[in-house]
Amino acid sequence: MNEEKDELLPGHIASDFYLWLWYRSETGGGHLDLGEGEEVDFWVDDRISFRTPGEQKVSAVMTGEHPGGSPEARAALAGGKVLRDVRLALKREDREYMVTLKGPLIEVSGAKLPGLVKTGDTAEILFERMFLYEELGLMLRGLFRRFAQLRTSDQWERGVMPQLTAWAHGQAEAEPPQDA
Amino acid sequence: MGILSGGLSVRRYRVEGQLPEAREALITALNGNAFREPLSPVHKEEVMGWTQVHNLLDTSFDDINLWLYNHYAIFALRIDKKTLPAKLFKAHLQKRQQAWCKESGRERVPAKVKEELKELLEMEMLRQTLPKVAVHELVWNLQEGWLAVHSQSDAVNDKLRKHFHRSFSMVLQPVTPLEWTADLPEVADRLLSMGTTELGDGQ
Repeated sequence: MNEEKDELLPGHIASDFYLWLWYRSETGGGHLDLGEGEEVDFWVDDRISFRTPGEQKVSAVMTGEHPGGSPEARAALAGGKVLRDVRLALKREDREYMVTLKGPLIEVSGAKLPGLVKTGDTAEILFERMFLYEELGLMLRGLFRRFAQLRTSDQWERGVMPQLTAWAHGQAEAEPPQDA
Repeated sequence: MGILSGGLSVRRYRVEGQLPEAREALITALNGNAFREPLSPVHKEEVMGWTQVHNLLDTSFDDINLWLYNHYAIFALRIDKKTLPAKLFKAHLQKRQQAWCKESGRERVPAKVKEELKELLEMEMLRQTLPKVAVHELVWNLQEGWLAVHSQSDAVNDKLRKHFHRSFSMVLQPVTPLEWTADLPEVADRLLSMGTTELGDGQ
């Protein structure tokens, strides 16, 4: 399955996506208009894990409050590591989600859904959880589309990479990027 | 923790193939591939099959109201396997071999006898051992043709895909984020050709 996963989506695409989410949340305030009136707030919650390029196993983990702001996390990037998993918080309207995005297929893991129905009718619980699961998917889809468009544009090399590199090396103050 | 409660850890699939129009066909497929206890108590191979999510001992899908909610079908894959504790087995076997040597007045146990003692002990211990039971809940959106299983283990997912195909003659294809850009084919193509972004000092 691991090889199949890599054929389905090379692992570095997920790593780049996680990196972009982290960078955006640290420097761009973690707010994105996904179009058609859809807006989402997001931030790195309490865990980031890294791997060495070409490998799948975890090589470093940062946990605790705001691991994305720690010098150790950026040092891991500056040391050539790439992201493996990221624990993300997302907010849409008044609904807040927590989820670990994991591995090359960007799988949803340990997702905490803001459900209100806890006990009672199975159908009621199921419909609410499916609505929330789909909403989480909608946000992730919107974020990935935005990332994919940027990653494949000239803007990535010209605008984003220099900022990302400077940020990873602690050489730049957090600046809201123009279009990153 | 699963589809109906707790944190959600899922792998998502697109369901490919012809969904039977009649719900009776689904009932037949689920019942026909539901979990069945092995006939022999010394059965050591893995056994798997569908169960209800409400109770893993409920394996009848005749009552549609217990597993189909509008267009969502929820059920679970139960996988049982009996495993003997290796160290305990080895210790018992050693005792049996020592006893055999004492009884027969020989210093060593011949290979054939060793094998017989081993098989006998295995059967005795299997009879006393309960299986390890794993239950993996899943939800299948019949209308939109996707399925999410509450497991990210590659081994479990491989078994699920095989059992699902055996049951419904339909194929589970893992959903990738590239499908989120399906309406932007040039973006998906370019994305696949991109290299790794590394921000190390060598860059």
